[in-house]
Parts: sequence; structure tokens; C-alpha cells
Amino acid sequence: MDIAYFFKILPHFISALPITLIVIFFSQLFGLLLSIAVTYIQIKSIKVLTPLAHLYISFVRSTPILLQLLLIYYGLPVLLSLFGININFWSKTAFSIVTLVLHNGGFLSEVLRPAYLAVEQGQHEAADSLGFTSFQKLRRIIIPQLLPIALPGLGNGLIYLIHDTSILFVIGVVDVMGVASNLVSSSYGTDQIEVYLAVAFVYWAVTYLSDKGVKRLEKITERYHLENGLKS
Amino acid sequence: MLALKNIRKSFNGTDVLKGISLKVNEGDVVTLIGPSGTGKTTLLRCVNFLEKPDEGEVQFSNFQLNYSHAKKKEILRLRRKSAMVFQQYHLFKNKTAIENVMEAQIVVQKKTKKEAYENSLELLNKVGLVEKKDYYPSQLSGGQQQRISIARALAIKPEILLFDEPTSALDPELVGEVLNVIDQIARTGATILLVTHEMSFAQSISTKVVFMDHGEIVEEGPPSQIFNHSNRLRTKEFLKHFTNNYQKTTSL
Repeated sequence: MDIAYFFKILPHFISALPITLIVIFFSQLFGLLLSIAVTYIQIKSIKVLTPLAHLYISFVRSTPILLQLLLIYYGLPVLLSLFGININFWSKTAFSIVTLVLHNGGFLSEVLRPAYLAVEQGQHEAADSLGFTSFQKLRRIIIPQLLPIALPGLGNGLIYLIHDTSILFVIGVVDVMGVASNLVSSSYGTDQIEVYLAVAFVYWAVTYLSDKGVKRLEKITERYHLENGLKS
Repeated sequence: MLALKNIRKSFNGTDVLKGISLKVNEGDVVTLIGPSGTGKTTLLRCVNFLEKPDEGEVQFSNFQLNYSHAKKKEILRLRRKSAMVFQQYHLFKNKTAIENVMEAQIVVQKKTKKEAYENSLELLNKVGLVEKKDYYPSQLSGGQQQRISIARALAIKPEILLFDEPTSALDPELVGEVLNVIDQIARTGATILLVTHEMSFAQSISTKVVFMDHGEIVEEGPPSQIFNHSNRLRTKEFLKHFTNNYQKTTSL
């Protein structure tokens, strides 16, 4: 174990960190939006779309993320070219984000849907009986009650997402893991321990910070003294 | 004021309401009584579309609505002129007592926060719970929650108040405080449609009592007729079973 080497390569990872963070940020943001749409489709039992949503969630949850990445990277351009859409100029990062958005959207909808269903029907009826529109009801009553239930699951989803970025080097994205892979191959297979240990520290730090953020959000939403076992 | 015409509703092929017509005049306190599973609550929930009737019409204050093809806007309009008090209170769990009372005034009626707050204080005072205004529902007893939910219903100044077995979920010693509040509201001339199993309360508060059985109205009339001079066997049989547990008191 070469401590000096460990500290020497650490800056390499720090400089690749923005790519990883960008991927995480957009995948989480659009993944969450997608999961909201999928949840909405399922809750409203929209014809045609609901069975498609089930199919999508089942596929995303049942196949490895690495496989999904390869399918998107190699398959999506072919699929879209059938419709005359050319995405060959897309960067590898873009393909990565698309994969993680699709993956995340399926997983998070399985967090949001039960959380939505956990809010008592009576809360809906009370708002309905007073003449709230669906949107007013969601914003003022349902979402504030759903959030504390969903947040731990969403937080776990974020951790998984961060870890899932570690496979993107397979298609050649030079993020933190990509740098590690390059370092290992350029040093003819030596110093692996130092390299991977450094990567582990970077992931640890990112996950730790994001987890702290989620925990803080949980604290904020806990103040509702909910009856259903979530009393602060 | 409120006229229901030929309301029909079935759940999975079972007819729950078999063509009910009912009139509630302004200032009336109409009480629906009858055995459990008769459709009283369903009828009440049909009034404001928490349950969608299969068929029927409603005439309410100055507009008419056909249940089988009601538009979203019409449903909202109907709901904004009525308010419901639920058996299980259903206070908004993420809001304090006073926020519960303020909520619809701000969201639906677009009142300012200040105006809504002052209104709500007054209403909480009316139901005797000003000192609990900053408590969350989970910190209040059932009776207190129900009184708050009555204040919440009153806050939108509904043309009709719908009470769905407001005391059925309460401990016996808490029933009185809620009935007193309802009694007090009835005296102010509010129009009320009430489902209850508190027979002596129904007798004392109602201007009209409606006895329902198997999805139909068996008999309706002033309380004295229904409770003392009914000539229907089914009504008499039902009323034989009730116990007297409402003692009217003058103060809260």
C-alpha cells in the first residue's frame, strides 16, 4: 500500500467528480419527474398507459442496470433511427443519463405509489368535500403527508443511483470510476488497491453528503406529528 | 333549497339506493335514521358527490344538476356550497387545529390569511376550543377533533351542512360535547342534513325525520309523528331498540 501514491492520484478523481455529479443530478431530477408521471398513470388507472407502466417497471426492476446501460447505448440509436431520429452525436454522458433516468423512474415510482396510497382516503374526501380542486388537494394536503413516508425510500434511491454511476465507465464515460479504470490500465495492473480505495473514499463522501441532505429534509417534514406511526 | 330526485346507486350489482327523493328546506334539520347498511350514509355522500349516484338529479339553491352527466365544474360548485362532517373527523393531519379551519377559506375562497385567521378564531371559540388552536389533530381527543371538524365545515359558510354519523366513532363520554355543538348550530337556523343513531338527539333537534330501510324511504315526517305516532310496523320495530343517551345541557 503506497500512501503517497494514494494522495497523488486523489486530485485526478476530484477533477472527474463534476461529471459524476452532473450525471447524478440530472438522473435524480428527471428520474423523479418520470416516477411522478408513472405513479400518476398507475393511480389514475389510465387506459393503455397503465399496463405499459407495469411492463416498464417490471423490466427496469428485473434486469441488471449494466444490461440496461448497454441496451440503451447500443440499442436506442438503432431504435430511434427507425423513426428517422439520429442521436449518434449524443455524448456518452447523455446515454448514461438516459439510462439512469429510466432506471430511477421505475424504482422511485415504486416508492411514491405506496406512499401515496398510505395517505388515508379520508384526507382526500375531506378536501374534496370542501371543494378543493385536485391540484389544490395534492399540493396542500396529500403531498405534505406523502413526503415523510416517501423520503426514506427516495433517499435510498439516491444512494443506489450514486453507486450505479460506477458502471458508466463500461461505455467509456470518464467520470470518477472512468478515471480509476484508466489509471489502472495505464499502470499495467499495479496499484489497484490505492486507486480503488481512493474511488471508494470519493463515493463515500458523495453518498455521505447526499444522505445528510435527505436526513435534513426528513427532519423538516417530520413536524406534522402524523398519526400513522410517524410522530416525531 | 335541496331537492334530491330519484337517486339510485348500486355497488357491485347490489342496489343500495333505490330511487330516493328527498327535500330539505332552508333552516330545516332533516335527520336520516334507520338500520345499518340501509344507505343513509351513501345517500348523504351522494349529495356532494363523494359517491357518484348512478342516476338522479339534485336541485340545490339556485342550480340543478343531473348526476349521470355532471361536469367537474358543477361538482366543485356543489361542493363549495355544502360542507360535510365525517364520522372519522378526517382533519387534515398536516395542519394544526386553526389551520384546518383556515385551509378552505384560503385555498378555495381565496380569503387573506388574516381574514381567515380571525374567522377561524371566532369559530374555534364557538366550538369551545380556542386554547387548542395550535395543536395537531393527533394531539386532540376524538370529541375535540370532531368539534374542530365542525368548525372547519362552518368556515366556508355552507348553505347546507352534512353530518355523517358525527358521534359514532366517539367514546360515550365525548358524545355529549359534540351533540351540544350541533344543537347550537341548529338553533342559529342552519340547514342541516344529518345521519345519526342518537335517537333522542334526532327527536329533539330535527324538524323532519326520515326513516330509511333497504335503500328506500319508509316514512318521513316531524319527529313527533315518527317517534310517537308512527303507523308503520317497520319504523316502530326499529325504534324499539334505541337507548336514550343524550342529555341536553345548556352550556358547552
